[in-house]
Amino acid sequence: MTGQAVFAITFYALSVAALSLAFAVVTARKLLRAAIALMGVLSMSAGFYVMLEAEFLAGIQVLVYVGGIVILMIFAVMLTRSADLMEKDPTFLRKLLGAASSLSFFCSTVVVLRTSPFLQSAEPVTATTENARVIGRALMDYGPTGYVLPFELVSLLLLAALIGGIVISRKTLPFEQPFTSGGDLPGEADFVVPLTQSDKAVEGGDR
Amino acid sequence: MNTVPLIEKTVHTVSSVMTTTLADRASSAMPNEWWWVVVWLAVGLAAIGALITALGLVLIYVERKIAGHFQCRLGPTRVGPFGLLQTLADTIKLMVKEDITPTEADQAMHLFAPFLALVATVLVLVVIPYSPILQIVDLNIGVLFVTAVSGYGVMGILIGGWSSNNKWSMIGAMRVGAQIISYEVSATLALLVVVLFSQTMSLAGIVESQAPGWWVWRAHGVGFLAFVIYVIAATAEINRTPFDIAEGESELTGGFHTEYSGLRFSFFFLSEFVNMFAVSALAATLFLGGWMPFHIGLSNSFNSIMDMIPTVVWFLGKTSFILFLIMWFRWTFPRLRVDQLMRLEWKILLPIGLVNLFAAAIVVLTRLFFFPGVS
Repeated sequence: MTGQAVFAITFYALSVAALSLAFAVVTARKLLRAAIALMGVLSMSAGFYVMLEAEFLAGIQVLVYVGGIVILMIFAVMLTRSADLMEKDPTFLRKLLGAASSLSFFCSTVVVLRTSPFLQSAEPVTATTENARVIGRALMDYGPTGYVLPFELVSLLLLAALIGGIVISRKTLPFEQPFTSGGDLPGEADFVVPLTQSDKAVEGGDR
Repeated sequence: MNTVPLIEKTVHTVSSVMTTTLADRASSAMPNEWWWVVVWLAVGLAAIGALITALGLVLIYVERKIAGHFQCRLGPTRVGPFGLLQTLADTIKLMVKEDITPTEADQAMHLFAPFLALVATVLVLVVIPYSPILQIVDLNIGVLFVTAVSGYGVMGILIGGWSSNNKWSMIGAMRVGAQIISYEVSATLALLVVVLFSQTMSLAGIVESQAPGWWVWRAHGVGFLAFVIYVIAATAEINRTPFDIAEGESELTGGFHTEYSGLRFSFFFLSEFVNMFAVSALAATLFLGGWMPFHIGLSNSFNSIMDMIPTVVWFLGKTSFILFLIMWFRWTFPRLRVDQLMRLEWKILLPIGLVNLFAAAIVVLTRLFFFPGVS
């Protein structure tokens, strides 16, 4: 009895927090505040996962979204401008288009939620205390119920993204210039590569 | 489950003690006596609060003493016997200082950031098993939880640096962000090695799995290498010298907390020291057996003498050893440059960590542990 009451109270507290933070995300005039509010929303959904006894998923949610994605977003915001960065007051056309698109999305969501028959199993799903182990086994299982192919595809995609990131951020050297690591290796710092004309134009130069 | 025999074979008296956490007590009291839940939660909160206060007072004093002796001076001596009350005096000074928020700063964020940094640390302290009967919560995703909540600490520092609207704070915060994100990879790889060995992510479970021997030497150097990688990466994650370019006084005045003063500055300061304790406690738990006493194979008399030492003393001893190691780093090594920092992580630690993880998988598959279940 008390357990159910606590459960309900926690659920509503989390819901109110999540909804108000989500509202803050879209209404905040400062980009960074919106990002912080987004962090709050994502943490609240981790809370929902905990309530559904999916602790592993909750941990991953915080690890990936708070520790990774939101920090990257904040990095991007910080690289752009300073604390007084405010969104401009949008024009009437933008407001109209925004309202139309959000209204249509809202309507379609409501319709989908109203019409879809949520399949409920007769008996409650027994949550295991070891759901990390279960998820791990399912991901590595190459039988008919396993997910090893999607898992490998995702890792291949990630690898491609990593290599792509390295290639993009790599220094492109002018033609016929010998490669140096720019003082990265010991004993190389004294060796100065003469800058070409185009080089001087583009970079402030850490070489 | 093929993992059970390894754990079941532990016959030492201490390891057979059932772990009871405060959260267990609270949840078992939940159905009928809800007031006990409140009591246990309050006890947990009070304990963590007391722990943080004590850590702040003790660690800052110890750090200053150690720094003094490393530099051939005495450290604090004036306030109280042996200068013991120095930290207390400093705390009072910080508390009565004016709390300034720059006019051009983002006020709310500026006030919010130090709390976020401290909360992240508190969350880590909650899951650490201090002794078999002294733990607030034992999550079955313990290791993952610890890695995940450290993200909030980064957020606190980033927000603090950004909201100060000061270029030094900003640069410091960016450096922290880049540094922590990079070194988190190596730290996690090192933690994964232990997760592989012990086949559980619960911290209490990991300690239990070390009853036959601590992971640092049970796996033919793989565990030891993971331990070394973890200590290096963790030192970087808590921004201690030699990885303190984030605060680099000579170039950034104070880094991300340049604009902070009074109590809010002390929050950042405190969270740095408590973080240091947290990573040391984690290293002790994962690699040095946590509260598990030191045992030698079949020498029962020796083992029973070791068992007489309380488990909390074992835990604190191991943690203090690593704390001393981290302080030793600080007063011995010069600060790394940004490029050296990144090279150390991405070109040295990460490849070694990956290979080590692979080696760990081989060790686990072939069950080539030392003392595979001493009986």
